[in-house]
Amino acid sequence: MLRLDNISVIFGGLTALSGVNLNVGNGEFIGLVGPNGAGKTTLFNVISGLVKPTGGSARFDTTDLLKRPIHARARIGIARTFQIPQPLHELTVRQNLVVAQKFGTGRSDARRIDEILDFLRLTEKADRDAVSDLALTEHKALEVGKALATDPKLLLLDEVLAGLETTGKRQFTETLKHLHEEKGLAIIIIEHDIETISNLCQRAVVLNFGKIIADETPERIFKDPEVMRSYTGEQGA
Amino acid sequence: MFELTLQAIYSGVLTGGYYALVALGLALVFGTMKIINLAHGELVLLSAYIAYTAESQFGLNPIAAIPFALVLVGIVAVAVYLLVGRIKRDRELNSLILTFGVGIILTNFVLLVWAADIHSTTTTWFQEAVVVGDVLFSSRSEILFFLVGVALVFATWWWLSRTWYGRAIRAVSSNRDAAMLMGVNPRQTEILSFVVASVLATVAGIAIYTGQVIQPSLGHALTIKAFIITVLAGMGSIPGVLLGAVLIGVIEALTVTYWSSALQEFTGMVLFLVVLLVRPQGLFGFGARRG
Amino acid sequence: MRTSAVFPGLILIVLYAGVPVAVGHVDYVMSLIIAALTIGGVAVAWALLGNLGGMVSFGHAAFFGVGAYVSALLTLDAGWPVFPSMLVGGVGAAIASVVTMPALRLRGPYFALAILAFAHIFRILATELESITRGAGGLLSIPALPTIAGFDLSTKIGGYYVILTIVLLAMAGYAWLRQSTMGLALLAMHDTEDATRIVGVPSTRLKALMLVVSAFITGVVGAFNAHQINFLDPDYAFSGTWTVLPIVAAIFGGYRTISGPLVGALVIYLVDQLVFKEFLPHGHEIILGALLVAMIVLSPTGLVPLVMGMVRRGRHAAA
Repeated sequence: MLRLDNISVIFGGLTALSGVNLNVGNGEFIGLVGPNGAGKTTLFNVISGLVKPTGGSARFDTTDLLKRPIHARARIGIARTFQIPQPLHELTVRQNLVVAQKFGTGRSDARRIDEILDFLRLTEKADRDAVSDLALTEHKALEVGKALATDPKLLLLDEVLAGLETTGKRQFTETLKHLHEEKGLAIIIIEHDIETISNLCQRAVVLNFGKIIADETPERIFKDPEVMRSYTGEQGA
Repeated sequence: MFELTLQAIYSGVLTGGYYALVALGLALVFGTMKIINLAHGELVLLSAYIAYTAESQFGLNPIAAIPFALVLVGIVAVAVYLLVGRIKRDRELNSLILTFGVGIILTNFVLLVWAADIHSTTTTWFQEAVVVGDVLFSSRSEILFFLVGVALVFATWWWLSRTWYGRAIRAVSSNRDAAMLMGVNPRQTEILSFVVASVLATVAGIAIYTGQVIQPSLGHALTIKAFIITVLAGMGSIPGVLLGAVLIGVIEALTVTYWSSALQEFTGMVLFLVVLLVRPQGLFGFGARRG
Repeated sequence: MRTSAVFPGLILIVLYAGVPVAVGHVDYVMSLIIAALTIGGVAVAWALLGNLGGMVSFGHAAFFGVGAYVSALLTLDAGWPVFPSMLVGGVGAAIASVVTMPALRLRGPYFALAILAFAHIFRILATELESITRGAGGLLSIPALPTIAGFDLSTKIGGYYVILTIVLLAMAGYAWLRQSTMGLALLAMHDTEDATRIVGVPSTRLKALMLVVSAFITGVVGAFNAHQINFLDPDYAFSGTWTVLPIVAAIFGGYRTISGPLVGALVIYLVDQLVFKEFLPHGHEIILGALLVAMIVLSPTGLVPLVMGMVRRGRHAAA
């Protein structure tokens, strides 16, 4: 479904990504791991269009992905959440989803919106006035909700569990599992927690200093000494 | 043909000196406080009319009017600063509208006090012709204020980069909090830039009065011209103001010579738009202008 | 907000029946009201661009003038009937706005002044392209509004009905846009353009659409004005007044509301012409300038909302 070929991103003198090759098939649940600054969010930015790569190519299904502007990528089925939630501020929760749905799919389906709200436990606060009244869990849920409203084929989750305490984390992990199993969505999740990744993903990709250094099952990844070294800060790839 | 072009370029360069004087104050406030003072042209206008009053009512040479003009224009400039300081949200846009309103007030104030008649200096010394090399003609005023313009551009640039106050102003503009930590009082430096801008505007007003005719509607026209030059120069570039002003002056002079005087404004506007859209950081400047 | 139909219904009756009955025979007053409504129309268009498009313009006179000229020339030179010409005038202004579209990339103040530059450019073009526009001398004897179903619209009352309808339609369109999903997206865009783009909102295209709509409305109003006073010249059509007065009106009346700009236009224009002009025949604009300054310092969202807020607080205190 998604195919990245030799993607590189250079900001000024800084190489954020280099020679990234990645294939994502339909319905895969992939964990994207790596130390901070490894380039994970940059990779998401390239796929979602916020960053133009300096080199390489990308295909999504039959489209040349890099030719599509940011807003078109939602239409072809790519959705992402932001690490720091970015709700549409002046709107209610429901309106957030309505906008996402209308522009991300071109259709209006109120029932689907209700479904998403229910699934993410946001129904109660759906029509309140200020989005700023939400707790962190609800903000994260709204981020996912907006993405889901665009009816995606590929969902990019950027540290969506960060900052949540244990119960919230567990709940959310269950929600994500449901999502993957019921909808058959392909999901790439940026996560630091080994347990979560092993729980959810069949495949883990490790990024370090902008390069992919491993692409295996979670069990094998977390036994790989090189991967562990990159986490503890010794010489990386 | 060649002589015509040469004369046009010569006149254009001299006019550029004037324009630089007018634009410098606006560019200074804009570069340091990121505020576009749309009333700047009216400050210049005020100074010009004070020179007129000094000459017609008191028989003084316009240059002698400078002290009075400095005080009056300075007071108005500080008043504008205080008003702008009271804006709490959307400072960029709201200060634009506010100074736009101040400009309207000042233009109509001039209209009320001095009426709509046009005036220009009666001191003939300024208007006497100066000929260079038998082919290049200009008035004394043009040459004098071109030199003054160049000198003040250089002085302003030197002041901003070499003196303590100048550097304080630049510090405040790039990082207000950090500047405060280093002992700089932001309000003081900001008022200072407004005051310096008003000094520049005052001199520009005298120059305008001695070099061309003045009327109340001139204020707005000067503001627009100053802003165009500031955009051409690019944010943060003081020498760029002189170069931008000369560029505009020359293009205008060539347009008048070879095309028509009605299109004088036109080419300036088109150049402005082209620069804004193609090279937003100006011809010589740094800093982004895009949303 | 109350959605009962009684209140708006009453207002419509007052506007369409009450006003003409009360002052319809006083030509001078009707002229003032028509002029105020014309300003109001531009003010609504300006506020639409500001609120939905998120861009403040300092040069709406550009669209006003283009609309006026296109419509006038169509009727004068091509013999078109007036109302279709007015619509085409609006279209012409919309096309002119497409020319200004590269300016949408600019940040707020720069966009505002870029549009101002365009206004100057259009004015100069109108003066120089004499073969088309008759140059500085202007256009005379522009056809007046026609007679429809026995009702002569070229009278003051007729003109009043036409401009009133135009402005109300513009306000209705504005209101509809605002509550539509597109309106929601536009609102969100002001805050977080990236987040809206990510969910599929083509933000630049939407902003461009608002510019086109705003220009269209302004163009139609400009066209109306041309057929109302039957005369046009570049300095008048592209005069700064068509930029400044709507801005003062919109801010005064509260530019975040739908009716604010119209209310502001009526109040500001009528007070300016009937009161300020009496005291200061030349230079009465000074009060408008002072108003603008006062409003920005005291209440950037407008004086009417400020007063309404105080009234509401007063009522709460008394209750």
